Amino acid sequence: MVKEISEKIKESISTVEPVEIPYEQRGYHLAIEATKANIVDVVSFFDKAGLYLEDMCCVDYIDYLEIVYLFNNHNKVCRIKVTLKVDPEKPSAPTISHIYKIARWYEREIHEFFGVLFEGHNFMTYLFLHDQIDFYPLRKKQVPVPEEDKRLLNSFNPEEQEDGFFLNLGPQHPSTHGVLRVVVKMNGEYMLSAEPVLGYLHRMHEKMAENRTYQQFYPNAARMDYLGALNFNLGYVTTVEKLCGIEVPERAQYIRTITAELNRISSHLLWFGAFVADLGGLTPFLYTFDDRENILDILEAVAGSRLTYSYFRFGGLFNDVDDDFVLNVKKFIDRLRSRFSMYERLVTGNVIFINRVKNIGVMDKNYPLKYGCSGPVIRSIGIPFDIRKHEPYAVYDRIDFDVATGTNGDNMDRYLVRIKEMEISLNIIEKALKDLPSGPVKAEKIPKKLKPPKGDIYHTVESPRGELGIYIVSDESDVPYRMRWRVPSYSNLMTFPELAEGSLIADAIATLGSYDLVIPEIDR
Amino acid sequence: MCALDSIIAVVGKEVIRLIAGLIGVLIVVVVNALILTWVERKVSGHMQKRIGPKEVGPYGLIQPIADGLKLLGKELLTPANVDKPLYYLAPVVVFIPVLVSFIVIPFDGFLQVKDINVGILVILAFSSLSVLSILIAGWGSNNKYSLIGATRSVAQNIAYEIPLLLSLLPVVFMANSFSLRDIVEAQREGWFVWRWQFFAFLIYFIAATAETNRTPFDLPEAESELVAGFHTEYSGMRFALFFLAEYTNIFIASAIATTFFLGGYLGPVLPGIVWFFIKTYFLVFVIMWFRWTFPRVRFDQLLNFSWKILIPVAFANLILTGGILKL
Amino acid sequence: MGKGGLHLETKESIIKEPIIKLAIAEKFLNLARANSIWPMTFGLACCAIEMMAGAMARFDIARFGAEVFRPSPRQADLMIVNGTVTKKMAPTVVTLYEQMPSPKWVIVMGNCAISGGPFAFKGQYNIIEGIDKLIPVDVYVPGCPPRPEGLLEGLMKLEEKITGTRRFPVPEQRW
Repeated sequence: MVKEISEKIKESISTVEPVEIPYEQRGYHLAIEATKANIVDVVSFFDKAGLYLEDMCCVDYIDYLEIVYLFNNHNKVCRIKVTLKVDPEKPSAPTISHIYKIARWYEREIHEFFGVLFEGHNFMTYLFLHDQIDFYPLRKKQVPVPEEDKRLLNSFNPEEQEDGFFLNLGPQHPSTHGVLRVVVKMNGEYMLSAEPVLGYLHRMHEKMAENRTYQQFYPNAARMDYLGALNFNLGYVTTVEKLCGIEVPERAQYIRTITAELNRISSHLLWFGAFVADLGGLTPFLYTFDDRENILDILEAVAGSRLTYSYFRFGGLFNDVDDDFVLNVKKFIDRLRSRFSMYERLVTGNVIFINRVKNIGVMDKNYPLKYGCSGPVIRSIGIPFDIRKHEPYAVYDRIDFDVATGTNGDNMDRYLVRIKEMEISLNIIEKALKDLPSGPVKAEKIPKKLKPPKGDIYHTVESPRGELGIYIVSDESDVPYRMRWRVPSYSNLMTFPELAEGSLIADAIATLGSYDLVIPEIDR
Repeated sequence: MCALDSIIAVVGKEVIRLIAGLIGVLIVVVVNALILTWVERKVSGHMQKRIGPKEVGPYGLIQPIADGLKLLGKELLTPANVDKPLYYLAPVVVFIPVLVSFIVIPFDGFLQVKDINVGILVILAFSSLSVLSILIAGWGSNNKYSLIGATRSVAQNIAYEIPLLLSLLPVVFMANSFSLRDIVEAQREGWFVWRWQFFAFLIYFIAATAETNRTPFDLPEAESELVAGFHTEYSGMRFALFFLAEYTNIFIASAIATTFFLGGYLGPVLPGIVWFFIKTYFLVFVIMWFRWTFPRVRFDQLLNFSWKILIPVAFANLILTGGILKL
Repeated sequence: MGKGGLHLETKESIIKEPIIKLAIAEKFLNLARANSIWPMTFGLACCAIEMMAGAMARFDIARFGAEVFRPSPRQADLMIVNGTVTKKMAPTVVTLYEQMPSPKWVIVMGNCAISGGPFAFKGQYNIIEGIDKLIPVDVYVPGCPPRPEGLLEGLMKLEEKITGTRRFPVPEQRW
């Protein structure tokens, strides 16, 4: 597929020169350098070819700013990196938000962090930052924000600009969404428009990555998504190991898989309780937390922490697991399997629940291409896109498991997909436990100061919410030059304004709950 | 004794009885609300695999008193820009129907403050006043969320008052009287719930759950959607009055269900008042059971259920009862 | 949002003293207040999950009377600040604190809210290093995140602060 695309794009746009890249080294197949003149054509070509915009970020090489676009395919992995060099004095680039809708938000983010103006984008206001800031944070030098830009950034004020009844959902929520604020324009009980306002938990992870060594940055990975912390750990550690070429022993890979799947189950259990609590049924919340405490006990015994784990190390694990762990996991699997029938009767079969959830928030098939959704959201539409099968890492290529899919793309399907995923995770853990080899859990001779070779790499893992991608640019020093986290909840959340238009506010809140958002990972 | 006789001669036996009854009602209301808050927390705790309040007194029995004292000692905050007359009036208005409804409930053979011969009409008329109080609270708070909660509550209460009334009418037909005492006495041959009125009982129970704003119909206070609904801006003792009124409404709804369908104070061995409280508290427990089991229905589903399903079924039941009585 | 900027100045307390103050009434009121503390649901980040775990079946904060988490600040006594407070969120925190009627208390849970936590690095531009720069704090519960038992201990300390005696007193040290 890579060769086809490479030839077709050379035919249609004569000014591009695709370069083939070894996938195992860099994580992408083709690199294309575009210019301001042909970037829109290149992007439209990929849109017609059926690729989705995986990520869009910017890197500040002091002589120029480079905007990086990453495209990928849902059916067969084919990652293409398109770069666009921009002048650092007055940075500007043409917008692609009319082709890919998710780019609307990626471009806003690049604008407020780097100062790149996107021509044709009509909504360049603050997304993550607050209005007291007067420099562009992620530039390598302190570049002050010019006056016209400040005015542009501050121009979001819906209550003064438009007529209508505006309601703020958040930032303080009685439910567990976290600090998300959605400005909703209402007509009685119906929602006319919704605009998410983010940035209430922007903790500067990407800036910290440029000021900390690879080992020192490691605890940050868990705090980005505290519910699926081991999966974020796994992504970060695997990316750096790929960049440096470190081999991880077999036993460590198996244990990484087992603990990551346990973490996935605990995240889905918490989501399950929170979702039903959003709808008003408060009791399953306590039952799932009780089940989750069992997982936390098991993981605390090996990793030392209940929520924000830092269990993996570059080249393996922090410490080995003992027989108690294996025994407890087996007991836990049996216990959780017997609880599923109780949840089935209490929640899934409840008429009130079904009426609240079936045929609500239906997502059709063009959302994944335009927004780049991932995780249970895309699997509920019927597209079996799972990174664990698509681009296997750890031991997922050696274990046989299904991918849970739905049919309609409504809230009920997202709910059922996650329940099924919990059962599939139990199967994966069982199989991995059976095949657990013996051996060391740490690779030998890992340098204390890790200095990866020059270059960039992009690697993805499947977190409980979807596709997590990490893009690291290294300049041979022990501090990363740029680290970009492509988080799944970001692209999932941005489908919400379009999906919730014209629906009742109670339905909109149920839909928001079914996305399983964790705001700290969006705000980074 | 002469002084007492002369007071009774001047004032009249009825007035003395009324005053004593009102004092008794106030005591029952307050004690009942305290007990019900404790019962709710314990019941919810045990249903959720935990114990509820335990440290404050044995089995947590002093917890409601601690809650009450704390609420008494809270600052009475009046937010700026509220509509002051309405804001101050709402907690008072919410409590009046509750007190009045207690006057006609027969706790035992002769334990009733006053046996008005249109007893049930008094209760229904005054319970419509509680809708007014919610609207006053929501409008006077000068807060978008309270207003949305209040309007939802008005629509819900109006929609569910009709099935409430329609399900009580067949019993009135069968007992030939509006007075609550006569209705209980007419059940000496058998409780109405087994004498053809089972569906009326179900409809009444569902409508009563909706009237008292309990889950699955608790949209006016839907926490996850609207912060806290119509009483968002109330603090301290004013909030406690809303709370108190809600729990007492639950008690009254269950008391009416007991009186109309389950035989009131009739029962074999124990004194009447004990039977009354057993039956009423059992129904209160069922209402609390609902809260911790079911999720919430959506607003349009709520109204559809009432207008399209409950009211036709209640009408059909009424006509059927009339037909059976004629034959 | 944040139109006026952040005002890092302390305000004068405008709560009037009661006209009559009886020691025994104060004693009973304080005992009642300590046994029925109603927290406000205000989870910002990771520590919020541990606070929720503290309210769940295993750790059960309801034993001490504190299970009624009120979503509206007007009905809550205690604000548990969980998680990092960013500059964008700080005006909201202060507004919510001011909306609570007195007597009110603040428990600060987690390293981020105490002093910035792991995110206070040189060159940071977006967090407030400790919420006690903006609102008065009664109890600090450190940890990243602290265990739910830590939160319960913080609650015990707050009760001790209100009433003067600890609920489960630690015996005198005997050598």
